[in-house]
Amino acid sequence: MAKYCDVIIVGAGPAGSLAALKLARAGLNVCLVERGRYPGAKNMFGGLLHNTPVLNELLPDFYQRAPLERHVYKKVLAFMTPESAVSLTFENERFEQPPYNGYTVFRPAFDNWLANEAVKEGALLLTDCTAEDLLRKDGRVAGVTVKGREGKLRGNIVIAADGVLSFMAEKAGLRKNFKAKSMGVGIKLLLGLPEETINERFHLVRDEGADISFVGMTGGMRGGGFLYTNRESLSVGMVVHLDSLKSSGKAPYDVMDELLQHPQVRKLVKGAVPLEYSAHLIPEGGIKTMPQIYTDGMMVVGDAAGLCYTNGINLEGINLAMTSGVLAAETAIKAMEAGDYSARSLSLYKKQLDESFIIKDMKTFKNAVGMMHQERIFRTYPRVLADVMDKLYRVDGVPRSKLLRLARREALKEVGLKGLVADGIKIGRALL
Amino acid sequence: MNIENLQQLTQFQIDEQPHIVVNKEICKTCDHRACVLSCPANCYTWDEATKLLSIVYETCLECGTCYVICDKGALDWSYPRGGYGVCFRLT
Repeated sequence: MAKYCDVIIVGAGPAGSLAALKLARAGLNVCLVERGRYPGAKNMFGGLLHNTPVLNELLPDFYQRAPLERHVYKKVLAFMTPESAVSLTFENERFEQPPYNGYTVFRPAFDNWLANEAVKEGALLLTDCTAEDLLRKDGRVAGVTVKGREGKLRGNIVIAADGVLSFMAEKAGLRKNFKAKSMGVGIKLLLGLPEETINERFHLVRDEGADISFVGMTGGMRGGGFLYTNRESLSVGMVVHLDSLKSSGKAPYDVMDELLQHPQVRKLVKGAVPLEYSAHLIPEGGIKTMPQIYTDGMMVVGDAAGLCYTNGINLEGINLAMTSGVLAAETAIKAMEAGDYSARSLSLYKKQLDESFIIKDMKTFKNAVGMMHQERIFRTYPRVLADVMDKLYRVDGVPRSKLLRLARREALKEVGLKGLVADGIKIGRALL
Repeated sequence: MNIENLQQLTQFQIDEQPHIVVNKEICKTCDHRACVLSCPANCYTWDEATKLLSIVYETCLECGTCYVICDKGALDWSYPRGGYGVCFRLT
């Protein structure tokens, strides 16, 4: 197989497919290369497709046509110890109107749908093709070789949307080694449960969905658990830092089992049937570990560009990915018009990205990466909180303390004054 | 979640060519062998008797954990050929 096109996109995930759609709609000859048997076959995430303005703009009726599960109406943050849970629930009627704030989706369904929207606009989708190496011409990137279906694809611009382990960016010399301290791994179990049971159990009606984040049930590792409601299933899993997992001496599925066995979680998943198990890395190193994102003839988007941030409350990636894909596509359209595929021409992408919410948000929460590497957030504070709540509610004939004194005593007992001050500064710098 | 049930839960299109090859000599001298416990699909096994690390690449979820966690350069790691490997249906 040998092909020539204006733009070659490696990876039919959300970033690659939306870039393909934008380029095809502009009349460019675009080829979307996917290693799975269908788009989405290799893709997993926790479960939440965030509201993404560029998606709403390019496909205004997507929420009526895309394979979506539920829109997220209820957000829960739960601090857990093995025997207790302290939860904060936020339900918002403003999350009840389109454009909804987020949807639970299945990636094999959603990614496949989105890639086919690009095909409808004229993009060429090549499945069963793993990009193996870059082709060069006059010193610049000018295509890829693929294996599976063997062949050479040549073009003017390559957009690397090949995910967190971007071998394309590595081969282009745009990034150094992948490091455990800037990666997280997500594992997930999909559990089937009847729709009515989910609605009753989570207090939901119609298409409403719940998003529960768990802090403190990750076997002492830095990370968090999650539970999302789909229409007839629950996505339950956790994300842990890779360096933390490495030193923990624990297997991730055993720790997930502890979460599933937690007294509160057990009630939520009771009677559910395991349907599918999946895992994937997440680029959690923040802005400081981003690779270079453009060179002569090539741009890097989405997870491949390390576009992801978490501040302990938000974890965003898919919306950043799709937005970066569209920005790269806009730059590619301008480069095609000018007939200039040099790094200087493609640097417009970096400029647009810097001005977008993506880099602004990643900069705003650049200190959150350090905070999220603080073990006590995950190990100690959930327990302190649970101890305070326990003393607050327990009626046992022992004289009570005033609230602030109680909280201070519990925190000092576990962390010490020095630790409290250090953590306070760290959390303050990250979030406040 | 019993990891032994992985093959019943998740679909794989198995290639006869392995996409991960371990250098068993390097693994013999590894001081952590973190791949064994960290792999979310339990693909790696260390046999203390024979001092050999073995991998079952057939049920690899292609998550990348081992590739990043191995700091000894013992893994020859690539994505499977197009069309092969894990094939998520829902997730």
